[in-house]
This record gives sequence, C-alpha cells and structure tokens, in this order.
Amino acid sequence: MTFKHFIKTITFIEILKGMALTLRRMFSRAVTIQYPDERRKIAPGFRGQHALSKRGGKAKCVGCGLCATICPSQCISITREKGQVTKYQIELLRCIYCGFCVEACPYGAISLTGNYEYSAYNKQDLMMTKEKLLSNWDKYMPGTKGEEYYKKFWRPMSEDFGTPPGQAMYGGKR
Amino acid sequence: MNMANVISPSTVDALIKFGIDVAIILLKIVIVLAIGLLHVAYATYFERKVIGHMQVRLGPMRVGPHGLLQPFADGIKLFFKEDIIPAQADKVVFYIAPIIFMAAAMVNLSVIPFDANFVIADINVGLLFIFAMAGIGVYGIFISGWASNSKYAFMGGLRSSAQVISYEIAMGLSLVGVMMMAGSLNLSDIIRAQGESIFGMYAIPQFIGFIVFVIAAVAETNRTPFDLPEAESELVAGYFTEYSSFRFALFFLGEYIAMILMASLCTICFLGGWTLPWYVLKIFPFLSYVPGVVWFVLKVYAFFFFYYWIRATVPRYRYDQFMAIGWKILIPVAIGNILLTGLVKIILKEVL
Repeated sequence: MTFKHFIKTITFIEILKGMALTLRRMFSRAVTIQYPDERRKIAPGFRGQHALSKRGGKAKCVGCGLCATICPSQCISITREKGQVTKYQIELLRCIYCGFCVEACPYGAISLTGNYEYSAYNKQDLMMTKEKLLSNWDKYMPGTKGEEYYKKFWRPMSEDFGTPPGQAMYGGKR
Repeated sequence: MNMANVISPSTVDALIKFGIDVAIILLKIVIVLAIGLLHVAYATYFERKVIGHMQVRLGPMRVGPHGLLQPFADGIKLFFKEDIIPAQADKVVFYIAPIIFMAAAMVNLSVIPFDANFVIADINVGLLFIFAMAGIGVYGIFISGWASNSKYAFMGGLRSSAQVISYEIAMGLSLVGVMMMAGSLNLSDIIRAQGESIFGMYAIPQFIGFIVFVIAAVAETNRTPFDLPEAESELVAGYFTEYSSFRFALFFLGEYIAMILMASLCTICFLGGWTLPWYVLKIFPFLSYVPGVVWFVLKVYAFFFFYYWIRATVPRYRYDQFMAIGWKILIPVAIGNILLTGLVKIILKEVL
C-alpha cells in the first residue's frame, strides 16, 4: 500500500466525492413527468393510434390491400365487396407501430395519429373497425392538420407517380 | 371511618407525591412514544423523498400535497394486509420475535435526554443500558430468522446477528473515549460535561471515536452500505422475508426507532446534545433563548440526513469485506483511540 493510497483510504476521499455528487444532484431539477397531471410533449409525426383519412367527408381508402400486405405483424385485414370496402380492421394489440402501412399507401389513406392513450379492459375495444378509424381522423387530425401531416412526414406515392392525364381509364374512373 | 385516622397525613402526602410522579412519567412516556412514532412515519417519507431527489426523481407525490400523507397510507395498507404465517413456522416464536425486536428498540428511548430536564429515566448506567438493549434486539432478529423456517430468513438472521454483535464491540469501544472524557455513563452528565469542555462537543477531540461510531452506527442498524442482512439481490428481504402485514410493520418500526436511537446517541455523545458550543453562543448570543430540545432534534435530523445520504451514494459491501472492516480496522482503531485519550488525559493532568 503506497502512501498516497493510504491517505486516500483514511480520508474517505472517494466516498466524499461520491457524496458531493449526490448532494449536487439533490438540488437539481427532477426529470420526473407526473403523467396524468402533466404530459410529455409528443414529437411531430408521432406514431400512435391509427386513423383512416377522409377527403370531403368520405374515406380515401379504396381497399387495395397494400397496407395489409406490407404489414409485418399482419394486423390489418380488409374485405372488399362490389367495389366497396366492407371491412377494414386493425388489431391494435398486434400492431408494432412501424408505419409501413402509411408508407405503402399510395393515396395517403391511413395515418398514425398522436393519440397514445387508448387502453381498454377487453380485446374487442382494441379491434379498430372502419368506423372507429374514420372517427379517429376527425378526433385527432382536425382541420388542416391531416393534410400537413402527409406533406411533412409521408409523401403518398400518387403525388410523385400520379397517372398521366392522357392515360386510358376504366369506366371513366381514375 | 376517615382515611386520615388510619393512614398518617405524611403517608398520604407521600402517596400523593408518588402518584403525581407516576402520572408525570406516564405523560412523558406518552409524549416520547407519540413523537417518536410520528418521527418514524415521517422518517420513511423523508427517506424516500431525499433519496428520490438525489436520484433526480421526485419521490412520493400522489398522496396529499407533495405526498405528505404517504406514511399514513402505508401504515393503513400494512394494517389491513393479510397476515400470512408459513405452515412450517414455529408459531409461538414467530409471534414473539417482532415484539422483542421492537420492544428492545423502544425501551431505549426512555434513557435518552431530549432536553436538560426531559428524560423519562435518568439512570447512571444509561450508556450501558442502551448497549444491553441493543444486544437483546439481536434476539428478535435471529429468533425471527429461525422461526420463519425459510432459508433466506435464516441466512439473513445469521448475518444480521453476526453483524450487530461484531459492530457492537467497535461501537462500545469508540464510546469509551467519551466516557473517559466525561467521567460518567449517565447520558445527561455526558452532555453537561461536553457543554463545559473547551471544544463544546466531543466530535472534535474524539474525532477518531466519532468516525468509528458513525460507521458502527450505520452497521448496527443494518443500513446501506452495511445492509447485508437484507441484501435484496441475495436474500429477498433478510430475516423478515416471511413476515407480512402488521408483524412486518413492527420490524420496520423497530428498525427506524433503532435509527432514531443511534442518531440520538451520536448527538448525545459527540455533538453535544441539547447544548451549543460556547464559541457559537459567543458569536450569536441570541441563540441561547432557543430551547435546547430544538438543537437536540436538529442534530438528530442532521444525522438522519447523513443516513439517507450515504444510502443514496455508497453501494453494498461484500460480506467478508464488511467483517474485515469491523474486526481488522474499526476495533483496533477504537482501542488505539482509548489509548490515545488516556495518554492525553494523563499528560494534561501532569502539566496542569
């Protein structure tokens, strides 16, 4: 044991240094966010609960199934009958919020809203039906918020690779 | 028949005097117990608060403003929990253990002088009495470890008794220096002798003893960094692993009262109890109007804060390191301190 080591031991210098640190921390601001009273400000483009976008009061979704195909956890199921989307269901318990569905959608029909408080007591409440998803759009993406959301964070493929005006169309619909 | 004819008036007077004395003592006991238990409740609260802030958290915040009612919520919760007794436990011993532990801790409060004239039992062997009771408290610990019939509780009980007994030696020896300087075992006399001494408090001339005492006091109450008996990562909760509900609360209470006791002992023997050093009073003469109990309590709080502070800072020792500190360092150092104190005392006597 060297002399320096001996002095260090009998003066408890290292413990005292540690204690000085804890004392300094005691007077610093706590990092705790007291959740129900105060909430963390969510980042723009937060990937929370899903919503189906609307344009002019109607769902943009045409039921092409790209989102259901790309979904890694396969939580989206779509049924289409006679050109209409009859069922559009997302199982929130299986969703991993990767955002692939939003990226895959050519028309910007599905979005991830900033809502993260949707705990429920049974599984049925966490099965998002088409109606619930559409009402989510009105609830969490009101006004121009939805449009800006797509402009800032997701650029639907149709905006870059839209159908040229001169292309032949089926049944007069684009 | 008149009472005065049977018993002489002087006997009646003596009886009345005796009755009044008993009533005063009972009143003192009630006051000390009530304030002591309130302190235990809020010691847990401030412990969580202080450690929380040291770890950049907030600590309890939800019950009442800033969590001030948390101790009562905890107490009520513990009271209404199910009292589980292991099927293979030694029932009678299992019942007795927490009571022994808590009673041994609480009895010590009776000899603590909180102010110049406020002590329940002003006995001449106060310091020895505290050591004796701390020794009896160990029975509660290892009896509980044995009766639980669980390996964790048993290991915790063994560890705890070994620890408390080893560090009691170091603590006793560290206080011998104080006894030699004060020339008394009566706690009130120790404080008075301290107030009249040159330094005002024995922590300055007896600083070796003071350091040994502080370390031993932390070990004696099974607190971090010496909380090996209840090392969570190894022994679940140590000797009270199998206890639940109010029996657990009794252990908890006993532990915190032991902490209060150690803090009071430190205040009495090294920090000057209810007195202030004369040089402080010379600089701030108005401080002599403050009642002594305020200084006593403030010193106890400071020691408590120290308990919390090291708990938030220092990690737990390994068991062999811990025993080595006690037997190979603290006890020789304490004995050296006794030698030094005696030598200085003899030299001063020769010179003066």
